[in-house]
Amino acid sequence: MRRRTGLLFATPALLLFAVFVLYPMVTAFSYAFFHWQGTTRGEFAGTANFETLFTRAPFTTDLPRALLHNVLFFAGTMLFQNTIGLSIAALLHARHRSRRLLQTLYAMPYLVSPIVIGYLWTLLLSPTFGPVNTLLTSIGLEEWALPWLGDPTTALWVVILVSVWQWIGFPVLLYGAALGGVPEELTEAARVDGASHRQTFFRITLPLLIPAIGTVTVLTFIFAMEAFALPYAFGGSTGNPAGATDFVSLLFYRTAFDSGATDAIGSSSALATLLFVIIFGGAFAATAVLRRHERRITA
Amino acid sequence: MTRTGRTIVALAILTAALTVTACSPSSSSDDSPGTGDDVTLTVWSWRVEDQAAYDKIFDAYEATHPGVTVEFKPFKATEYNKILATGLAGSDGPDVPQVRSYGQLQATVASGALVPLDGKVDLSGWDENVVESAKGKEDGKVYSVPLATQTVQMFYNQGLFEKNGIAAPTTWEQFIAANDKLLAAGVTPIAVGAKDDWTLPIVHEVLAAPRFGGKAFRDAVTSGSASFTDPNWVASVQVLKDVEKYLPKNPTGVAVTDAQTLFSAEKAAMIPGGSFDLAVLQKANPAVKIGVFQVPPAPGSPSGSEATTAGWADGNFAVSAKSKHPNEATELVKWMSTKEFGQKVADEVKQLSAVPGVEYSDPLLKQMADNYANAGSPYLLLTDFRYGSPSGTELLGKGIQELLLGSKDAATVSADLDTGVKTWFTPVA
Amino acid sequence: MTTLLAPTRPPTAVTSAPPPPSRRQQRAVGGIGASVLLWTYAAFALVPLLLMVSSSFRSNADLITDPLGAPWPLSIAAYEQAWTVGNFATYFANSLMVTVGAVTLSTAVATMAAYALARARSRLFRWLEFLFLSGLMLPIHLAILPIFFLFDGMGLIDSRLGLALMYAASGVPFSIFVLTTFFRQLPEELEEAAALDGASSWQTFWRIMVPLVRPALATVAVFRFVPIWNDFLFPLVLLRREEKYTLPVGLTTFFGEHAADYSAIFAGLVITTVPLIVLFLLATKQIVAGLTAGMAK
Repeated sequence: MRRRTGLLFATPALLLFAVFVLYPMVTAFSYAFFHWQGTTRGEFAGTANFETLFTRAPFTTDLPRALLHNVLFFAGTMLFQNTIGLSIAALLHARHRSRRLLQTLYAMPYLVSPIVIGYLWTLLLSPTFGPVNTLLTSIGLEEWALPWLGDPTTALWVVILVSVWQWIGFPVLLYGAALGGVPEELTEAARVDGASHRQTFFRITLPLLIPAIGTVTVLTFIFAMEAFALPYAFGGSTGNPAGATDFVSLLFYRTAFDSGATDAIGSSSALATLLFVIIFGGAFAATAVLRRHERRITA
Repeated sequence: MTRTGRTIVALAILTAALTVTACSPSSSSDDSPGTGDDVTLTVWSWRVEDQAAYDKIFDAYEATHPGVTVEFKPFKATEYNKILATGLAGSDGPDVPQVRSYGQLQATVASGALVPLDGKVDLSGWDENVVESAKGKEDGKVYSVPLATQTVQMFYNQGLFEKNGIAAPTTWEQFIAANDKLLAAGVTPIAVGAKDDWTLPIVHEVLAAPRFGGKAFRDAVTSGSASFTDPNWVASVQVLKDVEKYLPKNPTGVAVTDAQTLFSAEKAAMIPGGSFDLAVLQKANPAVKIGVFQVPPAPGSPSGSEATTAGWADGNFAVSAKSKHPNEATELVKWMSTKEFGQKVADEVKQLSAVPGVEYSDPLLKQMADNYANAGSPYLLLTDFRYGSPSGTELLGKGIQELLLGSKDAATVSADLDTGVKTWFTPVA
Repeated sequence: MTTLLAPTRPPTAVTSAPPPPSRRQQRAVGGIGASVLLWTYAAFALVPLLLMVSSSFRSNADLITDPLGAPWPLSIAAYEQAWTVGNFATYFANSLMVTVGAVTLSTAVATMAAYALARARSRLFRWLEFLFLSGLMLPIHLAILPIFFLFDGMGLIDSRLGLALMYAASGVPFSIFVLTTFFRQLPEELEEAAALDGASSWQTFWRIMVPLVRPALATVAVFRFVPIWNDFLFPLVLLRREEKYTLPVGLTTFFGEHAADYSAIFAGLVITTVPLIVLFLLATKQIVAGLTAGMAK
């Protein structure tokens, strides 16, 4: 495509994006370089706010742990969401009659606000009333009736798994769309040659899905690093219990809005900038690899 | 062709509809169609549940102040801080916002968003702890009028107590004996939702304030002659570990709402809570006969330390510096410091009013008010240790969770609290 | 138009449309075991939501004392409350206006931009692509203060148009990112053939390329619609007058500081979620239609 046509096509999006997203974003980063008196900007601070992130409490204890939780969130979500999502999409692909109904059912958790999802699951997993533990005890698995959201080790994984449960609709739909783009002739030819369903899937379909998988991976990474609504719904702004469900965005939230410090905006903006840099680095690397592979298969 | 044509037409209509129906940009804050004298004051709050009560209260104000309309707008409590910060910074904000107290007020004050009320509002004769909630830490000026005194105490189910032959305890031995009896009867003695860390410093105050020495200790810590590593404080934290067997199993998995459900469903006999919880508990199960008592001093309490009710003030109302009607706004806020308003708060909103001399028709509210008046102390982690980050309440809340989980002992929890607040706290002699 | 559809994807030489999958093949993927798994997971996906629906038919007092009881006696008081006290009729209209407007705008501009990014060669577009992607990397709620100041300065506070523009802009990075991938996978021969036929860039784009990415378009539209429909933060911060509020804001009136009226919340949620389910069914129909059209190519 000629450059000029390309620019014409891209300009509306660029305009909208530049005014309402880019400009506030850059402004938000700039906040990190100043001292603040509440919502009034003070003098230039240089890198002072960033240094706070690495030298002062609560950041020295809370930030590394929160970051670790974000990384675990990414790993867990990748593991479960992509495997389950892809399998479901593949299984659904051939089922024409029930496909739409099942897709809708799988996506239902996504349609409900995370606040309520958190509340519903907290209720279901409650050690005092929750049916989950009651059920486990009644079928004899009493040692499995753990205080799911009260134990630091299980609490994080509950948040991760509920997140997977909530978001499964997206990979199912996207992989479904991608699977639709795999030419039937290829799989037909393989079947004619005697390949089993599994072989066809792994040797022919899957490689062609790499771009879609890559897209989902990058988006999952970004989502995992920014995770906020669901963790907040489960563990509040402090990542209960005992910080086991603390994430970087929760740390931002309580620094910016709940703390008694008058220079909260400075340090919280520095935190946001740091988070951005981390996500940027990760996504840049992933996308570079992704695009290179894409070019190879479409060439 | 027709399909794409139709889509384009639909899109065009939609965009046109949007542009036409969307309101024109900035709207004025003066909505009333009346004469130039008519003024509308917007009051912002985080008390969504009090909408009806405040509407009634402000109707009374409007009756005696012709030409003034008061609009009460509450927002979701968890988002309020954000909404207030942006609202005060912008051009179309509230005239009389409800603001946070003590440490959490300071950012708002620092932004220059509030009008100092010294000389305009008379708070002489009010409880010192309460007035502290309204002051700027740096300049000592009064920036808001306190609305409510919140107290914390132990609520108990009188029916369950009678059934088990227990009376409200006056000594620690009686308290423990009561707990043992309830445990044996299959009732959870004390409902605590340790999953929500904010409730734990409150539970600590209710159960162990006399053990660390109440107000005397607070004065010592704020002046620097004591710290949180003091043996009395550490022992007070240990009290929570000692009573762990009386809490629900795996308390860190139980949320505060679960704990309240346990109490309302009469599966738990006691629940440490605030005066702000009374309305909630009464509404949840009107059949439960609720009583209130102050937990007696635990063994080892410093001499002279008695049972106490910890309290603080919040719900304060202030005047926005950007208000287009500063005089009327200040009038309203001044009215909020009168006994007339305080009485209405007690009757309609059903909270303890910060205004002295208010009477309470609900016997429990009266008892809580009397307790605080006779034996009150500040909820020190909230009143004095929220002026920086990490806050005292945050540190102790997390610490007690770790204590109950068994990952830290009382001494470590206290040491962490001490080091944490000392990153920003300097004693004021 | 049919002439453009002749070249199929590389590398096989099959030029005619493939035969429809045989019934035997259709049932063979995974078989009964897979079906059982699929439906079990579907049930698992539904359970908490069924809890929500059943709880919406109970009074709040019931819910507090017995959180997981059965909805008996049935009470629709919560629905009445949500609709009247919660002012849901007005909010519903506002939500519809804002969300449909935002998603339409967002998807439209993003599709155009994605096409350009997928096809254009110069380095500029690589940078542009990354610029758009970077918009995803700062969660929008971290920039609430600058956004507020921006809107205040533009006079767009208390404006549904402003809100819609905000939402539309925030959806652009995600939509572009997903759609670019799908556009890239379309073979360039399609454009070459179209150019030979004398079609302009726009015609090629609108008549050929867009229909081919319809499944991805529908997916993107749905995944932008839902979070915008459910968002309460921006309306609370950017709107002032009650008659402009959206549904989620109406829901927040049931969240008290110390106790929430859950039966009203659940009823409100059911009302809020039903349109999303309808939307989802519509979207999946589009997706399937798009897939089938692609296959018949």
